[in-house]
Amino acid sequence: MPEELKDKTEPTVSKVMRTPRSLIIEITSRCNLRCRYCYFFNNPAMVYRDLPANEWLTFFDELGSLGVMKVTLAGGEPFIREDLPVLLEGIVRNRMRFSFLSNGGLINDEIAAFMAGTGRCEYVQVSVDGSCAEVHDSCRGQGSFDGAIRGIRTLQRHRIRVAVRVTIHRNNVHDLENIAHFLLDELGLPDFGTNSAGYMGTCCGNADDVLLNIEERKEAMATLLRLTAKYDGRISSNAGPLTDGRMWRRMEEARAQGKPAFHNGGRLTACGCPNNKISVRADGAIVPCNMLAHVELGRINHDSLAEIWQNSPALNQLRNRHSIPLTGFEFCAGCSYIPYCTGNCPGLGYTLTGMVDHPSPDACLRRFLEEGGAIA
Amino acid sequence: MNQTDRPIANPIVVLREEFDDWAVLFNPDTAEAVGTNPVGVAVWKRMDGKRSIEDIAAEIKNSFEDAPDAAFKEIAAFVNRLAENGFVGLELESK
Repeated sequence: MPEELKDKTEPTVSKVMRTPRSLIIEITSRCNLRCRYCYFFNNPAMVYRDLPANEWLTFFDELGSLGVMKVTLAGGEPFIREDLPVLLEGIVRNRMRFSFLSNGGLINDEIAAFMAGTGRCEYVQVSVDGSCAEVHDSCRGQGSFDGAIRGIRTLQRHRIRVAVRVTIHRNNVHDLENIAHFLLDELGLPDFGTNSAGYMGTCCGNADDVLLNIEERKEAMATLLRLTAKYDGRISSNAGPLTDGRMWRRMEEARAQGKPAFHNGGRLTACGCPNNKISVRADGAIVPCNMLAHVELGRINHDSLAEIWQNSPALNQLRNRHSIPLTGFEFCAGCSYIPYCTGNCPGLGYTLTGMVDHPSPDACLRRFLEEGGAIA
Repeated sequence: MNQTDRPIANPIVVLREEFDDWAVLFNPDTAEAVGTNPVGVAVWKRMDGKRSIEDIAAEIKNSFEDAPDAAFKEIAAFVNRLAENGFVGLELESK
């Protein structure tokens, strides 16, 4: 945080619920793939060490006692754990539901049947980045497309909800129309989500080959906005070109018409995650978010999660980002979009600027326009 | 539902007391959640299959200074709603 802002941002901790509703847990640091834009690998904050099942089971007991409702199992690739059924039993025993973030390639009938049998699986998110192997495998490796589709079909056979996520990058930005047709028409999925490769982990070393340039971002936004209309809302996003396209259109309209500031506009309000969920790294470190893996708040089975949740100074500082005005940042000086801007993802802000309490340059509309961008 | 019915909280349902004045009852088997206030929490904690709805209402009226005269009716409606969603079972008074 810039020095001059500190006096203005005296912590006024907003009301926080007693315990988190949900957690994202990286149950393994192992993965069967090495994707070219993976945020997890080549991330200096990560410790690539797995915990034995009994450590997770003890932690799940704590979550149960705190009334946590749901855990999302991630990695690495969560289905790589041979003892996954034991972990799922621990989650079920503690009256929680679960979901997965997966590449799909290790999902087989045996584990799918087990998951379906628990009745507690919310969904499995499988990454699909192309309408064919050539496009998908370009960043994820040979054979990964077939594995993902095989995994999706296995889940569908067992009536487990599949939530596909398409990560948009330079190699698939021209394939979006085909991807939408493939996922929604051919595979028959009810919907899918999108984001884009971000400057984190392995991606930092492949940025020139992977990250969208200005022209490609324009194309992605225009295509996705057109496709969402065509498919009547069956394409969603929380980040990436579709989110940017929608948000920036609103911001430009508001600025042009001199509308009042947006609710929570003009301050670092973008991320509400620390108010209802928290994350755990594969090595057991408790962190605010997988995108902020360097902010260690404590360790599972050594520190009380409830104590961390309620009293961690680092977590409360993150929750109070909303009190930091964008007008105090040199980066934002003179920007006419400030009343409508929320500063966006602190994780991406950190990797791009080295500061958590800084707006993310990646989501800066002014910069996008100055570099030749246009609003779709 | 009769005054003498004895509700039993479904043991699979999780009571999350999120804030001083707000709690959530969550059924992990169905993913259904019901928000409730402190009176609802007090009712929930008394649904042990031994107390009748009438017993619970009487205890609530004693515990909460501002409990209205219509407390029984409101509590019965709350329990009924939970029963419809599978959050509680009812031990019926045999006649």
